[in-house]
Amino acid sequence: MDVFTLAIWIGTLIFLGISLAKDKVKTKQVLKMALGMGKGMAPSILSIIFAIGLILTLLPPAEIAAFVSNQSVLLATVVGALFGTITLVPAFIAFPLVATLVKAGVGVVPSVAFLTTLTMVGVVTFPLEKKAFGVKFTAVRNGLSFLFAIAIALVMGVII
Amino acid sequence: MTIIKKIRENLFLVIVALIYIIMFIAKPAMGIEALKSSGYYIKEMLMIMPVIFILTALLDMWVPKEKIMRYLGKEANAKGVVLSFVVGSISAGPVYAAFPMCVMLHKKGASIRNIVIILSSWAVIKIPMLLNEAKFLGPKFMAIRWVLTVIAIIIFSWITAKIIKDEELPGEVMAQAGLHINRDACMGCTLCARNYPEVFEMENKKALVKSYDALDPDRLENAIKSCPVKAISYNNSMNM
Repeated sequence: MDVFTLAIWIGTLIFLGISLAKDKVKTKQVLKMALGMGKGMAPSILSIIFAIGLILTLLPPAEIAAFVSNQSVLLATVVGALFGTITLVPAFIAFPLVATLVKAGVGVVPSVAFLTTLTMVGVVTFPLEKKAFGVKFTAVRNGLSFLFAIAIALVMGVII
Repeated sequence: MTIIKKIRENLFLVIVALIYIIMFIAKPAMGIEALKSSGYYIKEMLMIMPVIFILTALLDMWVPKEKIMRYLGKEANAKGVVLSFVVGSISAGPVYAAFPMCVMLHKKGASIRNIVIILSSWAVIKIPMLLNEAKFLGPKFMAIRWVLTVIAIIIFSWITAKIIKDEELPGEVMAQAGLHINRDACMGCTLCARNYPEVFEMENKKALVKSYDALDPDRLENAIKSCPVKAISYNNSMNM
């Protein structure tokens, strides 16, 4: 558990304690509400998690990286961005992977495109985001994030 | 009938389960591999989701609507933008952890623009992630990407707010307590407003829940049942 997760836990527990001291009935409602939210989201979250497991097995990040490093910059950028869009990879896998990409001479542009879409755009999380915010919002947010991820990658290629 | 409905509601889950079944038949080793790599994400989820749900419910209960509106609403301007970046950056967990929190904030008056900023910064510019990035790719790489990302988020959150209107966000699925109408499903038949005019009314050819003090369970049930597209839902877990 990193410091931030821990801090959120501690902060929330303190908040919960204050809430309990102030109003028992309301605090009970809070916990019921939290449980309701959990139940509501559990099937979607589990399907996202198992879908990520599937994607990582079918398209191992290391193999994608190996493939990308043999392509032209343009193709590598597109493949990198698309792969980043499909999946969600934890930071401790993503950063070393991108570091090897950069060192292997793939270039900054595809690597950044991959990194940014990886976290900001989500095909696997689309169904859940759609449930929470509606199709239009989800499509616009993910679409714009994708375009701007490419833009960030291009600008970084010029600067570095 | 209900089975088909259940499958349709959880279509994604059904598809994922099917692929796993096919995989286990065709390539059992690969199936086990996939389950194993899911394990990490399950741990990640269990570490953060319970606390996010509790925190969201706590904020929902104790922070008044006016406060959220003042700090994250349309009129909050630069202050709201900065605050949204701070909220997103000090967060933890995967981006979907931000969904219930953002739905709650929007319901309480946060603007679409600030919701997009929180979601996006939650996804890309978390502080633990930045430290990791600096370690592997160098502080210069990290700093430049951070600045560009912040600029990009400011621009596209503004664009998103121009395209999407507040009413277009449903946000009813996150198990909110009370009476809800799925306005995407409602086809404006006016049945509910005629059956129970004290609670339902029509607005722009769609049904709307009026503010109500007490509910008559029989009449409510009647209205819910009569809706041809089953767009009315009632969650009474809060009303004790």
